[in-house]
Parts: sequence; C-alpha cells; structure tokens
Amino acid sequence: MNESEMTPRERTRNAMDFKKMDSIPWVESLDEELVMNFFSSGVPIQEITAIQWGVFLDGFLLFNWPKVLGFDPYEYLGCINLTGCIVPVDIGPIPRFKQRRIGSGPRYEEYVTETGALSRRFSKGTKVIWYSMPQFYDFPVKDRASWEQYKTRLNPEEPRRYPKDWEKDGYIQVFEEYQNGPTSLGITGFYGFGAELMGITNFVTCFYKDPDLIDDMVSHWERFTIEALREAVETLKDRIDMVYWWEDMAERHGPNISPKLYQEFLLPHYKTVTSFLNKNKIKRIMIDSDGNIQPILDLIIESGINGTWPLEVNAGMDARKVRKLYGKKLFLGGNFDKREIGKGGEAMRNEIDSKLPLMKETGGYLAGLDHDVPVTFTLERFREYADYLRSQLAI
Amino acid sequence: MADRLSVTISSDVMMMSEPLEGIAHAISNLESSQQFVELVTRALQEKVSSVEIVEKGLRKGLHELGQKYEAGEFFLSELLYGASLVDQAMTILRPNLKTEKIETKGRIVLGTVRGDIHDIGKNIFKMMAEANGFDVQDLGVDVAPERFSESVGEMSPDILGLSSLLTTTLSEIGTTVAALEKSGAKRSVKVLLGGNAVTESFRKEVGADAAAVDAVQGVDYCVRWTKK
Repeated sequence: MNESEMTPRERTRNAMDFKKMDSIPWVESLDEELVMNFFSSGVPIQEITAIQWGVFLDGFLLFNWPKVLGFDPYEYLGCINLTGCIVPVDIGPIPRFKQRRIGSGPRYEEYVTETGALSRRFSKGTKVIWYSMPQFYDFPVKDRASWEQYKTRLNPEEPRRYPKDWEKDGYIQVFEEYQNGPTSLGITGFYGFGAELMGITNFVTCFYKDPDLIDDMVSHWERFTIEALREAVETLKDRIDMVYWWEDMAERHGPNISPKLYQEFLLPHYKTVTSFLNKNKIKRIMIDSDGNIQPILDLIIESGINGTWPLEVNAGMDARKVRKLYGKKLFLGGNFDKREIGKGGEAMRNEIDSKLPLMKETGGYLAGLDHDVPVTFTLERFREYADYLRSQLAI
Repeated sequence: MADRLSVTISSDVMMMSEPLEGIAHAISNLESSQQFVELVTRALQEKVSSVEIVEKGLRKGLHELGQKYEAGEFFLSELLYGASLVDQAMTILRPNLKTEKIETKGRIVLGTVRGDIHDIGKNIFKMMAEANGFDVQDLGVDVAPERFSESVGEMSPDILGLSSLLTTTLSEIGTTVAALEKSGAKRSVKVLLGGNAVTESFRKEVGADAAAVDAVQGVDYCVRWTKK
C-alpha cells in the first residue's frame, strides 16, 4: 500500500496494528451541543451539504418537504469519528422501553429511557449547558425477580436485532464504500451492561450482596453478546475493523470494581467473547472507559482487549506511561488533556508536544482529546488546536 | 462478605472475644451481611451500648475500610459495600440512639452546584460522612449560589461541601465561593470541594479550603477540621 494514498480507514487500521502510515490519525468525539455552538459562532451555511426531501420508515413516506441535513462536522474540522461506520446489530432490549417524557417543569424534564431507566435533564429553555448528559435516578433491575423479567427482552435470537434486508454482500459494499474511518462493531461490556441496568451503586455492591445474581447476569450477557453478534461477526469477519467495547468502569481513584472482582466475575466472560471474535479474524478490540483503569490494565489485556480510549488525564492516565509498561500490547487513543488544550496557545502546544512525539515514534496511537470535546470549546479555539495538531501529525 | 469472596475466615470474626473488635473487623473485611447483623445483635445482647457500637465498632471499621481504599487495596465496590453494612447496623441501632446520646462530629451542608444534576459522588460522600458521625444536610443538585449562602445562616454548618462532576460547571463553584465571601458566610465555614472536575489548582484559584479526590479524603478533611 502506498502510504501517501492512505484513506482515513487504512490509516486508522494501520495505527491500531502498529504498522507504517503516512500520518497519525486524528479522532474526536463531538457532542451535538458543541456542533450547534460551532454553527452559531461562524460555520458557514454553505457547509450544510445535504437536504433530505422525505423521511421513510419501513418503506412508508412519513413527510415530504425539504429537511436540512448533512453537515458533517468531522469532515469540516478535519478529524474522524472514532467509531466510524457501525455494523447494524441492535443489542438493546427488545421490545424497547418506549422512550418518553414523563414529567416536565420549568427547569427539568424527566424521561423513561430506552433501557427502562428513569432520567432527569435540564429543559432546553433553561440555557444550562450540557443538558444532554442526564442524571439517572431509577433503574429497571433491582433484584433477581426484576432481572428475570428484564432478561426476556435480551433474547439474542430476536429477529429484529438485524435490519430486515440484512444480507452480506449489500452491507460489505456499503462498508467498502465507506473509507472515512474504521468499520466498527459496538458491544456493551459486562460492567457497562450491569451498571446501566442496576445503577452503579447497586451493581457494584451486588457483587458482595448477591454474587449469584451477578453470575447469572454476566453469564447471560456473554451468551447474548456472542449469539446476537454471531451473524454479523461470522459474515463480515475481518471486514470489521474494530470492536468498540463500551464500559465506562472507572473514576479518578480507580476502577469501580476491584481487580479481584473483575478477575473472578468478568474475566472468564471477556475471554470467551474475545476468543469468539479472534476465531473470526477480528483482532482489534478496544475498550472505552473513562477514569483510572491503570489497576486493571493487566486484566484487560488478559481479557483479549488490545486497545484503550480515552485515557483521561484528570484521572491520572498517561499514554506515555501505559506505552512504557505495555508496549505493543495496547494501541492507545486520546490522552490530550482537554483542559490544557482548551487553554489554547502555549499550553495547548505543550500538551501536544509532550505526548505526540513518543506516540509517533512507537506507533499504535490515535491522536485526540481525552474524551468528548467539551461544549465550552469555541470554534476559534478548536480551529487553533486543529491547525497545530494537523501540522504535527505527519510521519 | 459472601463465602466465595471471603478474604478472612468468617468464624474467626464470630469467635472474637471483643464484640466491638469483631464488628470493626467485619466491616473492613467485608463480611456477609448476615454475619455482620449477627455480630451487632450479639453485641447488643451482651449489653454493649449502641453509642459504643457506633463509636468503637462502626467508625473504627469504616476508618480501616477507608485506609484500605486509600492504599489501593479496596475500590469503590468494597467501599460502598462496607458503607452499606454500617447503614444496616444503623437501622438496628437507631431506635436506641434516640435515648442514648451520641455526639456528632460536626455538621456538613452539601450540594451539587448550579447547572449540574449529578449526585453519585456527592451521595457516596454523604454516606461516608454520616457513617463517620457527621450530621449531613443535603441541599441536592443544581443548587444556586444564594442557596448555599443562605444555608450557612440557617443551619450553621462547620463545613460546606460543593460538588461538580462536569468541567463545564466548575465556574459555578467559583461563583458560589464568591457569593459566600460576599455574604460573609465563608468566614464561618470550611469550604470543601469534590467531584471529578475539581483539582487542587482549581481550589487555589477559587479560594476554597480543600479539594478532595474522593469521598474518603473528603471525610478525612472534615474529621481534621472538626477535631476538638
């Protein structure tokens, strides 16, 4: 492959494989509020590149008037989205909980989420930023009985988990055409799944209060994950560039469950899933977890995971240290301290200069902030960061 | 602690001659809930006062639990489970504590600052602080600076805890501390910051008294400040 003609997808794959590339890929995660702020601070209207004239659902036309769509903030800003093009498998509860508003006041709105949790967020009119990050205050699984009830929605054989027109060649063609980043398969991890259904406090204490329930939950999740994904994995095999395993299992002090619990309850299940993926030639498996996961990195690697993002600096994660300790066992993503980058100027350049040279030298790195770009970033500040970073990425 | 996870032999705890020692040991070694309740019940049967159980059993156990957390031996799962044992004990002891006088270590008023509705960290701190003998008044989430200032006059706390998970609401901590200064309320309380977004340099910037990286450290500050 000619390095100078790499597509973003090829560049990202090579980065994850510690292979040669023309430049380090730049990946970010952009929130809708940030994009709206960028719009209101000067993204030209000409950047709105597509207008959709109708909305179809299951072949039915729902409306037919021009709807402005299609601004691609990633293309406009010059970075790529970490997850790229996503393999269409629905791993949520089916039937879904109807996402609906159950209450509203002058300051808050309350919702039932698709997973059956109750959440509260600021009303849009309150002018409070980050209303899109809700507070979850009640969860669908509380004990054995509610778990048994919930489990009926997690049937891996449920036909609605795949598109009605699912067939190999059509999807491979779409994926082949998509070269703006990796093709990824999203999985919810064993911790993430449990914490989402029970809430963090109840889930992490349940390992002690009712270990048999935890065993049953994670065992079911293992079978569910493999069987729900089997068709996609065995059909697409290594056309899937990356597995994106969402966990969010740590805070600043360390992981929310101890290494001991991880080893006893989760590790065997991770291994079964990664073994299934590996047998199908899917080798790039990345965990997404905020917080300080350093104390469980050995176990994460033993699980068969070989990449991690976003390496949150505020939680003490340092890509240089992780690289020194684990070498090519882990490809790394993120780790530019969003607080330093947000200051702009010298602070921003120092942050990049302190990490990027080692990452360029050792490979296996996807450059970017240590989580979503904060909504407080102005377009001007982001452009300053983008200009400097792009000038440093070439190898 | 459930059998499969036990780090100690449960019968050792049951055999301990000193019931308070057994209770403390059970908390810091994550014994099963059932065994723990038996220990508390046995202590009451042996005429150990509820106040003693709280002060010399539960608090000692919590202290040891916190030490293990700080040392990296325990994590959030262990900290919360240990705290839940204390909570269970308090449910048993609370009726007695109405008649037996227990001294609180001090009063804490806390809340999540305006613009932020997250409360997991705040609630963990609250649980740990209460278990350690503090009277905690929780103002909830999305609390306006003026409300924090008013609460100092109304409740006379020793400590005011301000929490922010989000970096985007850090500025509200600054606004709140400034409001406390302006109203004169800051002179009478220690201001403790907590939450994922808070750092030591930020604390200095806004002029708060301490920034805790986690609930255990936060409680340590409170204990230090209220030591008589």
